[in-house]
Order: sequence, then structure tokens, then C-alpha cells
Amino acid sequence: MTEIVVTRPGEARLKDLFKPGKVGKFEVKNRIKYGACCVSNYNGRDGTITPRELARVRVIAGTGCGLITNQGAYPDPWGEGKAYFRQVAIHDDKFLPQFEMIARYIHDAGAVAMQQILHAGRYGGIDLGYCIQPSVVPQTLPHFRPPREMTKEQIAVTVQQHADAAKRAIRAGFDATEITSFMGYLLANFNSRFTNQRSDEYGGSVQNRGRFMRELIDAIKQATPDNPLSVRLNGAELMDKWGGNTQDESFELMQQAVDCGVDMISVTVGWQEAPESSFGRDVEPGYWNFLAEKAKKMFPNTLVAFGNRLPDPAMANQCVKDGSFDYWEICRPLLADPEMIHKAAEDRMEEVRPCIGSLNCLSRLFRDLPYTCTMNPMLGHEVEPEYHVTEATEKKRVMVIGAGPAGMEAAITARRRGHSVTVFDKNDKIGGNLAAYAGNDLARPADLQGVIDYYGVMAKKLGVEVRLNTEANAKFMRSVLHEYDACIVAAGARTDLESFKYMPGSELLIDALEVAHRRKTVGKRVVMVGGGAIGLTISEFLQKAGHEVTVVEKDKRVGGDIMPTFKWRHTAWVDELGIKTICSAQLLKVTAEGATVKTAKGEEVFVPCDNVIVSSPRRANHDLFYEFQWMIDELHGGGDATVPRGLDAAIQEGYKLGVRI
Amino acid sequence: MNAIVEFGGFGELADWQAMLDRHREVFTEMDDGARIGIVSREASGILPGKHLEGVQRAAEVDMLAWEVQGGGMQAAIERFAGMATVKVDLLLVADAEALAAARAELAGNALTTIKKSIRRGNIMFFVFKNKAQLQDAGYEDFLESLGLAFLGACR
Repeated sequence: MTEIVVTRPGEARLKDLFKPGKVGKFEVKNRIKYGACCVSNYNGRDGTITPRELARVRVIAGTGCGLITNQGAYPDPWGEGKAYFRQVAIHDDKFLPQFEMIARYIHDAGAVAMQQILHAGRYGGIDLGYCIQPSVVPQTLPHFRPPREMTKEQIAVTVQQHADAAKRAIRAGFDATEITSFMGYLLANFNSRFTNQRSDEYGGSVQNRGRFMRELIDAIKQATPDNPLSVRLNGAELMDKWGGNTQDESFELMQQAVDCGVDMISVTVGWQEAPESSFGRDVEPGYWNFLAEKAKKMFPNTLVAFGNRLPDPAMANQCVKDGSFDYWEICRPLLADPEMIHKAAEDRMEEVRPCIGSLNCLSRLFRDLPYTCTMNPMLGHEVEPEYHVTEATEKKRVMVIGAGPAGMEAAITARRRGHSVTVFDKNDKIGGNLAAYAGNDLARPADLQGVIDYYGVMAKKLGVEVRLNTEANAKFMRSVLHEYDACIVAAGARTDLESFKYMPGSELLIDALEVAHRRKTVGKRVVMVGGGAIGLTISEFLQKAGHEVTVVEKDKRVGGDIMPTFKWRHTAWVDELGIKTICSAQLLKVTAEGATVKTAKGEEVFVPCDNVIVSSPRRANHDLFYEFQWMIDELHGGGDATVPRGLDAAIQEGYKLGVRI
Repeated sequence: MNAIVEFGGFGELADWQAMLDRHREVFTEMDDGARIGIVSREASGILPGKHLEGVQRAAEVDMLAWEVQGGGMQAAIERFAGMATVKVDLLLVADAEALAAARAELAGNALTTIKKSIRRGNIMFFVFKNKAQLQDAGYEDFLESLGLAFLGACR
């Protein structure tokens, strides 16, 4: 065992996380496993690995994790196991050279290389008109393909394909392999009562249902006897009400895997189609740790890896110290900030770009798009030099109007390139409307506030000057004439109250942003005009605080601008809190007694209320572009100031401006 | 077979029709012939963990069928003989509690009640067409209204 040399302060503080470990015969420099939790969708439609993927893998290799699991590759030539259009394949030796490169990248970074083999089963056959499963259980999510039952011959072939894939991965230079049931893939389909209703030796009892897994483990261990094998298994499927496995059954299956000699159990939570969430913003960090603790207690002699909804290195360190698990398995927080482990090692956690659990990554995958990250604009663009922060050829004096996410992202990026940067904002703190949004968020306000805190820390560290309580207008611009070379307008968007100008009672309308920022209070009964992200968030907060809110939305449904992976949460809150909604409706008139709205059927409905708040439509703060265009050399715009959208667009555009200006 | 099994626990068909008529706007984009089935979990034998029995079942039970005809959603009672032969795009399998809750809300907001039952696991649902086919048939509003499009733990 290599003796640990503590050279960085965070390593001393988080010494259990940074102590070396061992997987099989391989020494691991720390207790951090990069989890293959997402398929990037960056590869060729035929499963070939692209330069975009290789560039991304180089970043993953450099994260500082001691054990790195490369994303799941499907093992069959027909694509029955293929879950994503651009998933990587490992069913043929023709793929070897690129896997060799990936293994080399990981080894060059001093990490142990593990290749995941992912046969998606029920979620597979994405290019085909069908998927294969143990039994013909129809799909519950329309994204997936109609099922076909596997014959015993097909099962045998599939087992062999997994063994061949494992052998291929080891030949490519990987040290270990992993098979996965996460989150409802073929292995899970055999293990679960929900999808395995066979009457032969592969179905029925837990012992029979686990037969496929045991055959996989046996075949891979025989094919690669000197290399560790990890198996990802559900601690909880969250499919109990659909007839899935109980927790006891899940752990019985883990026991089978342990008895078969698997080297590591990676404990996971949930299926894609489970009716509750497992790692979204509404789940408290550490919520699922008990599953890993249970596994470790049951299997003290087998390595246990875990990381679902566990984004914090300090918490992970404590878990390793307490013996809750052996390896912290992490992926999404490292998508948001690939430097997180290094920052933890250097005790610079306040500089970590936080994962906010928006699951933009999954929203994109479920739209068959390559994944990106709300917080990390570089993700997926590593191969493009234009996205890299390089020293500016000509150092400029840059002014940024607006201290919201777009402005702050542009400011710190431009500063990293050597520009001198000053941010101006009319408010008394940074964050823009994100701060107001965070203050009303029912999920986890700390997540969104963490974004603002990050920008505050980085601005200070990098030397970005921030001038608050300073409104940028033509008069102000004249006062700083010739002091700056470039201006970025990131002044956000405002509620478009002007569009109600000719409506009777328009003078009674209240701007939602004023309420969100707590600059205005409202009475007990409230009508919220607009059921988008802003309108719903404020409505939920008010309703929970005891107000009675009715949302009036012009579209057929509320939540139209909310990310798909979180829209369900808002609509659930609307139901749970008892918020009334009137959709396909428009505001006609406001009086001191209430609001009159016109429904899609042409009926006029009077809603008694004390106040009418307007959250929609929103209008980009374009005005400054016209005012400043003859007052500065370069004028740029980004975020909501160009088109009102969400946090991801603000950060992406802020970054793009910062790296180009 | 007892009465609950035979009649699927659906109650009065006219009440369902009135509810569908009131929620007409949810179905306006759907093509003629688009069909949704509702069967009783207990009657159909599509019990959690025993779906295969539902797939193979030969004995017939009642199914409440919603079908778009002439621009409106029409309710009818049909026979259900298992998943292998059922001619629907979407099948909801409701337990007795969910059916009772939906029936109690037929004069109110039954679709919201159904949505809640899906989330609680009292109604299982199965899709027989893929996303593109359902979108082409105009199901987007209906799927969204029931929160089905992105239901999943991976969030």
C-alpha cells in the first residue's frame, strides 16, 4: 500500500476521503469513484467514440478521482442494449483503439480505469422498433420501445456478449469492469418482480430472478479473472407500488452478487419510471445514505460505493470515516465543476461551481440531445478551442451591466482572460432576479443561493470590481465615457406591465419581481397573472405562507417554461398546496374587489382578490443597447437582456461573451 | 366473478362522459380513433408484480374505453382480454381506491385525481405506442395533464 503523503490542507481535513484504497490488486489513490451516471450522447450513431467524447474524457480523467468509470457501452451488435442514440459501443474489436486512448488518459492521471457495460434492456433498442426484456411488460414511459421477451438462447448470447465486452475492455487497458442495473436497465429487469414474470428458471423466486446476474458475474469473472468487477444494484427501486422489489429483496440480490465473488457493490436508488424522485433538487443531500450503510453492514468484506444525492465531500468523508461505504461515487457535481475534488483537496470548497440538481443533463438526454450542464458552460465543448479560456491578446477595460448570473459569469470569465472588469448593478447585492427566485424556492433555496455565493467568491478572488446601488443609464454612461472599452449588457428582463397599459385597472397591478424581492407585500387573496417559472414559484411561496392564490395562465397549462425534469415538481406543488389555476385565460379588468378574466370559452369570470400580481409576459431590458450604442467601442448583450429564458441560458451566454470579448 | 370484477367498478357511464365533455380542451388535439383504456387492477389481474397474468389473461373483464370520435372523447364500456389483444394507446390500471376516488370526483376535477393516483402508485399506466406516435396522435396535452411525460426517478 502506498503511504499517503498529505500535501494539501483539504486532504488533511478530509483524510478519510483522500486516503488510499485498493480494488482487487489495484491501488487507488483516494476513496473517490467517478460514477458512470450519465451517457454523454456525444458519440457516433454506430457507437464509435468521437473527438468530442475523447476531449470530455480527458477532463473526467483529470478530476482527481482515484477510480474512474467510463460511461456505459452497449455490448451487442444489434443495438438492443443501446439506450441513447449516441451511446458508445463495445461489441467489436474495431472499437478498441479509442477505448485504449480512454484507458490511457485515465492511467496518465494516476487513476484506476473501470469500464461499464450497459445493456439497457427495457430502455434499450432505441434505434430499433423494440426492446428486449425478461417478460413482455409494456412500457410506462412513451420514450421507450415496445417489449419482446428474451428466449433462453438470447439470454445465453447476452451473457456471452457481456463477457466478451469485459474481455475487450481489459484488452484495451482498463483495469476493471462494471455491470449495471441503474436505473432500470436489463440487469434490473431480470432482478425485479416488476419486469421479470418468467415461469422458467430465470423468473419467480428472488433466487431465480437473480440467476441472470449470477451468470453475468460468473461469465465476466471467468473471462477476466484478474480484474475486479463492480455491480451497480438498487438499494431501493422505488417501484414497490408497481410490483417491484422490496428493499429486502434488493438486498437479497446484493447478497447473491457478493456470494458470486463480485469485488464491489455500487448501491443506487430508483428506476427511470419510479413515481418518486431520487436525486432532484427536492431531495435532501444524504437522504439515501442509509441504503449504503445497510449494504456495508451486510457485506463488510465487499467494497461498497455510493453517491446518490450526496454532493458534499465533507459529508462523504464522514461516511467513509463512519464506515458507511468505502468509495464515494460521484458524477453530477463533477459535471458542474470538474475541479471539485482538487478544490476540496486544497480546502477551496467555496470556489466550487455547485451542482444545483436542475438535471438539465437528463432533460437533454430525454430529448435525445447531447448532455450539457446548467452550471458548466464548457461541458460538451471541451474539444472546441473557442470555448477555452485563453489570455486575451488585447487587454480591455470591460464594464458589465447587471450582476445576475449572465453578468457575473461574463465578468469572471473575462477577468480570467486578463481583462479589467467592473460590474454595475442597481441593487444592493449581486444575484439579480436569481436572488429573488431563490428566496421563494420551495425546493432547496440553498442550491440557488449557492450559485450567487459562488459568483461573489470568484469575483472577489479574481479581482472583479462590483459597484452596487449603481443604475446604468445614459447619464451614468456619460459620466464614465472613455473609461471602458467594452460593455456587456446583462441587465436581465422585466415584467412587461406596459402590455396591460390600456386595461381597466392597470394601475392596480403589482410587478411579480417586486413581490419576489420583498419590496411589496400583498393581501390574503391574490391573483397571479402568468403560470411560468416565476409566477408559480412566487405563487407556491405565497400559498404556503397562508395566502390564497389563483393563477391565470394564457397557455393551456402552467409551467410551460420550466425544465422537463422539474416541471412535475411544480405541478405537484400546485396540486398539493391547493393553488387554483385558470388556464387558456386572459386578464380583462382589475378593480379593488378583484380581477375579471376571460376564459377560452369566452366566458368572463370574476375572481375576488386583494391584489393582482403580474409575472408574465416578460420583456428583455433592451433599452440600454439603444442608449449606449454610440457611447462605447464594443457593445454586447447576453442572458435575459437579449431573450428572457432560464438560468442555463444566462450562464451559457455569459460565459460565451466572456471567452470572446 | 363478483359484481365489482364484472363491471370494473366504473359506476355510471354517463358521469364519465360528462367529465370528458367538461375537459374537452385536453383532447382537442387528439386524432379520431385515439384510445385510452381503464381497467380495474383487481378485476384484470394486472396486479403489481403479476403483469404477465394481465398479458396472458384469457378471461374477459370490463374496460372503460375513451375514444376520440368526431372531435370529442366518447366513453364506452368494452371487453378487455389482456394486454396482448387490447386496442388502446394507453392503458390505465386503477386499484379500487383510485377508481373510487376518480368516481367521487367525476363532477369535479377527476383528471387531477387520476394524476394524484398515478403519482401515488394507485394507478399503473402502460403505453402501447412510442413518444413520436403519441405526439403525432395529439396526446401531448393529455400526457402533460397527467404528468406522464417525464415521470421518473431519474430527476
